[in-house]
Amino acid sequence: MKLLIGQILPYFTVTIFILGMLYRLGRWAGARIVHNITLSPWLQTKGQVVLRVGTEAFLFRNLFIYDKALWAGALLMHFALFNILVGHLVGFGFLGTQFTLIPVLGITPELSLEMSNLFGAIFGIVLFVALLYLLYRRLAKEAVKLVNKPSDNLWLLYLLVLVGIGNIMRFVPDYHIEYILVRDYITALILFRPVVHMELLNNGFFLVHLLLVQILLIVFPFSKLMHVFGMFAERYIVNRVYHDPAPDLPNVDVVAARQAGLGVPDGNTAGEGV
Amino acid sequence: MPEYKGMVQPARASLTELRKIHIEPVPDELKPEKAVEYLDQLRKKFRSFVLAMESCTKCGQCAENCHTYLGTRDPNNIPTNRAELIRKIYKRYFTPEGRWFGKLVGAEDISLDVLEQWYSYFYQCSQCRRCAHVCPFGIDTCEVTFIGRQVLHWLGITPKLHATTGAAMEKSGNHSALPKPGIVDTLEFMSQEIMDEFAVEVEFPVDKPGADIMYIPSSADFLLNPYTLMGAGMFFTYIGANWTIPSTVTEAGNFGFLFDQYSTQRGNVMRLLNAAQELGVKKIVWGECGHGWRAAKMYIPTLADRPVRWPITHIHDEVANLIRNKELKLDPLKNSKPVTLHDPCNYVRACGLNENMRVIIKACVTDFREMNPHGADNFCCGGGAAILFDDPEMYQRRIMFSKQKAEQVKATGVGENGDGILCAPCSICKAQLYPMVEEHNLGVEVKGLIDLVGRALVWK
Repeated sequence: MKLLIGQILPYFTVTIFILGMLYRLGRWAGARIVHNITLSPWLQTKGQVVLRVGTEAFLFRNLFIYDKALWAGALLMHFALFNILVGHLVGFGFLGTQFTLIPVLGITPELSLEMSNLFGAIFGIVLFVALLYLLYRRLAKEAVKLVNKPSDNLWLLYLLVLVGIGNIMRFVPDYHIEYILVRDYITALILFRPVVHMELLNNGFFLVHLLLVQILLIVFPFSKLMHVFGMFAERYIVNRVYHDPAPDLPNVDVVAARQAGLGVPDGNTAGEGV
Repeated sequence: MPEYKGMVQPARASLTELRKIHIEPVPDELKPEKAVEYLDQLRKKFRSFVLAMESCTKCGQCAENCHTYLGTRDPNNIPTNRAELIRKIYKRYFTPEGRWFGKLVGAEDISLDVLEQWYSYFYQCSQCRRCAHVCPFGIDTCEVTFIGRQVLHWLGITPKLHATTGAAMEKSGNHSALPKPGIVDTLEFMSQEIMDEFAVEVEFPVDKPGADIMYIPSSADFLLNPYTLMGAGMFFTYIGANWTIPSTVTEAGNFGFLFDQYSTQRGNVMRLLNAAQELGVKKIVWGECGHGWRAAKMYIPTLADRPVRWPITHIHDEVANLIRNKELKLDPLKNSKPVTLHDPCNYVRACGLNENMRVIIKACVTDFREMNPHGADNFCCGGGAAILFDDPEMYQRRIMFSKQKAEQVKATGVGENGDGILCAPCSICKAQLYPMVEEHNLGVEVKGLIDLVGRALVWK
């Protein structure tokens, strides 16, 4: 198992993930933007487009306007998830000392590690709770029940299990994992060195967590999770700059027309109280 | 064919009617496989469609924002579910996950029943884009129903209304099958009407060589909304424009946009450009028609087979511009009844006419009351995309689709004394709302916006 999940599968996962992404994004790119279907009122500058797409993508503008509860749940979920993903990268990368890199504040490595643990703990819980809310919403809200497919619920359950195991490793001292072990493991994988002997892989929770992440990455390019990129691809079509052609009728002189009394019967009414 | 397995459906075009728009129906037994073939062809072309198929997370936000779902509570009228009718086929045939895990992701094999579902529900979509407007991703269900309708059309499944309208356009240059003598007669009659009612001399020049401006009215304005065309005539006379109406294109609408964007829509575009070239005009000005204006403004640049040499603007753009420049003298007291404005979907979510309509209406009436919601948030009248079917079952649906609109109008209170005006500056909105204001007892009269301009003009 350790050999399979810890040593062999990761290379397979990365390969499928990359090829899958190329396949899926290629499928999108292969089709063209044929007609101009920009939504109006139109954005007038590139800056406005960036602002609009940015607020949609990072603050969920439309959800905020039309469904506050979903907005709160979705934003918390995605914000926590984003922090956790980045946290994994920098936490393992810098062994928890990442916050010392922030200039001026003068954070010590010890404090940084504390902060890393604290943020990890907070976002781990927030993510779990937000996922629970989104699942509850799928099961309870009438309109959502009507559009739901089994895979929608399954993804939420899957993430709940994945995050749940992560939280166990974070909160149960017996299963806690030192950052250094993970870094060594990843480094070894990158350098194509054997990892099977590593102590880390004796932690069953870690092994399952790792397996679930890999399955997720394998399936990712073929799943609804691609909405992360779909967001930008779709917005690229419907939110773009458009300038109305200037209105102006050729050879029209309203003042002259009114002075000539056009349309007024018996012609010569020029000058009459216009 | 008003119903199929519990689904309402509009009456279909007959074989003869289909042939008039150059379609040879596919035999039933071949329809499913051909549908997949056509779909494959289209999905490789339109990215807007691909993303609508592939980016939805089923958050459900579109449900409560679609007037067809609010009016019928039919789950298939939820925008994402409407798209799902095609998405389930898309997944099954064009994606690995659908091929291997069909049940899980909701993929389904194609069948005649599925095509019947498409026919029922894609022709219950008003293509109003309110779902695109509220969707967190901007997914446009309109792009899905366009393609669904296109596939159906190629299979030979087209509503009688759309097919005959498309054929009428090809034959006579307008949707109402009015021949040129009829047009000239009607316009002369309108001149007379204007003289009688407003004491103003207005001429409607048809095919005038050397005209600067080519005005494209909706053909419904000749018959159903005469005051809109009369208003336009009065406006052009008032400003002393050298204008004309081309007898070969007396139609602002373009039904091809709604059921056949390849052949019918492009044919109409080329017809327009030919007319502009023949008359040697400098500019094209569009009349009151929602889908037609979107088709003209946003689609001509990408549909024309040659460079478009004429700027094309909407009459509202021009009127608003002159009002802003204080060149029109308008007396709002001539429109003193309470007025509310129904924003045609294509104007506000696809063509940016939002502000200009308000500039005009505020200059023309004394008692203007906004609906809630309005502007880009506005709800469709329920007739959008020309789902103006008269079969009893479909007519019932139209009443349901307009429920949201009726509530909005009621809330403004314009109809309380039975003398309100519901300004709906779009021929399809007008055609839908004329009967609907009666069905819902709204106490309002439906009018166009240029109607109000014509009435408010001060001539001396």
